[in-house]
Amino acid sequence: MNGFLQAFVNGLTLGAQYALMALGFSLIFGILGVMNFAHGAFYALGGYVAYLVDKTLGLPYALAVVAAVLMTAALGYVFELVVIERRIDDHLATIVLTLGLSLVVGASLLAIFGPRSVDFPAPLTGTLRAGGVYIPTARLMIIVVSAAAIAGVYLLLYRTRLGNALRALADDRTIALAQGIRPKVLFPLAFGLATGLAGLTGALVTPIFSLAPFVGEHVLMISFLAVILGGLGSLPGAVIASILVGLVESFVGFYIGGSWAPLMLFTAVLVLLVVRPTGLFGAKAAHV
Amino acid sequence: MASPTVERAAEPATPTDTLLELDRLDVRYGGVHAVQELSIRVRPGETVVLIGANGAGKSSVINAIMGLVPAAGGQIRYLGQDITRSSPASRARAGIRISPEGRRVFAHLSIEDNILSGGYTLSKAKRDEALAWMYEAFPWLAARRKAPAGTLSGGQQQIVAIARALTASPKLLLLDEPFLGLSPVAIADTSAAIRLVQERGMAVLISEQMARPALKLADHGHVLRTGTLRRSGTVAEIRDLALSEDYL
Repeated sequence: MNGFLQAFVNGLTLGAQYALMALGFSLIFGILGVMNFAHGAFYALGGYVAYLVDKTLGLPYALAVVAAVLMTAALGYVFELVVIERRIDDHLATIVLTLGLSLVVGASLLAIFGPRSVDFPAPLTGTLRAGGVYIPTARLMIIVVSAAAIAGVYLLLYRTRLGNALRALADDRTIALAQGIRPKVLFPLAFGLATGLAGLTGALVTPIFSLAPFVGEHVLMISFLAVILGGLGSLPGAVIASILVGLVESFVGFYIGGSWAPLMLFTAVLVLLVVRPTGLFGAKAAHV
Repeated sequence: MASPTVERAAEPATPTDTLLELDRLDVRYGGVHAVQELSIRVRPGETVVLIGANGAGKSSVINAIMGLVPAAGGQIRYLGQDITRSSPASRARAGIRISPEGRRVFAHLSIEDNILSGGYTLSKAKRDEALAWMYEAFPWLAARRKAPAGTLSGGQQQIVAIARALTASPKLLLLDEPFLGLSPVAIADTSAAIRLVQERGMAVLISEQMARPALKLADHGHVLRTGTLRRSGTVAEIRDLALSEDYL
């Protein structure tokens, strides 16, 4: 029973990580129509910024997380404004540009911190004991903060004027323009919001997983899988599919063996795409 | 919202009594000349209809006024200012709004979110006020306010598209083929919505292939064929030609 619960909590932690990444990736794709292949790089960058602030500067971990969010959000905002904005409707160009940024960030981290993973210990080391079961507080913190971030994004999108405009842009950009909505102002904001989420994810989870220059690539790949599984463009689909993927990875790893998890996931997605090409929650043309 | 005539009285600087003026407007798509040297004008509070068959260039005129397609030549003046090169967003902020061809409601947004999206540039109080007005005028909108607009019928979507365009109380409302594909009942509903706009003193420019319901609403009309003006005048003056054009 304890093993089951442990696998469940680990699965939720993985799921929270994938959900935050998939949410940001889907936001950018839904609103800008851009596939952000640099999303994993923002995850790694968030981890390193938090590492620097927490370990090198010796400031509190909470402050390190905030710094990571702000840095990655700012970089995303500027990158969209200066680079992506000029080629926004050229799909091939945006793929190459985001891949390029991913390589630049990865190579810079490699040059500064070296190829080996750095020692970034988890800020919380205790365990929560309830009725004979133990839950590591570090994982609990990740789950709670992720849930709060997802709820925050939901409220922003569905309860504010900005969110209304972002969803209108995702739905029909031309007609959104005719409402006085300015994509040139809102696109960098949306991009920065999404990369800030990736930075938050990196700052939250790299202490308990690992932190190396290209650590984000694998996470992005699994999150991308979750995005497809949930239905490309559907935000609730991306979040729910991410949690499912996290749980599957954890339970397969616990009961069958870690190396089986990716194989099972890809097989499940393959079968699903044959049976239901639009994903679990995707409509014919899913949108934000 | 004060009527435009009241506002104008407070601004004697406005040169003429013209709200919108197209001066030899040209619209081209590649080598195709969709609109050629078209000159028309719309006065404050007036309803003008552009009648023409498919491909006559009506939608191109409407989209050029909103800024959704570029003008290849000529000038678009609004409130005495040249807006030919302005972005659609700044034209929207200046008081020009559109119910586009095919309605194009935000299909994944609820009815309420569609209406609110039209008020992006407004304060919360103004947005709520507009919403209350729409719900009073069309109670069914309030009853289904959480429904995704994509699930509505064509006639209902037309009302939502007009409501969205009205949220910001525009000075000029552009209606591109508002009756296209609608049932007689929906045409009557849409006509009622347009009358509501007229009562508020807003100017309306309607493009229509279906001359009959559009002529009932308009003061002035222009008949277009292959991008050029065939005849202009009061509704009584152009009625016969407009109705014959209707069946081309």
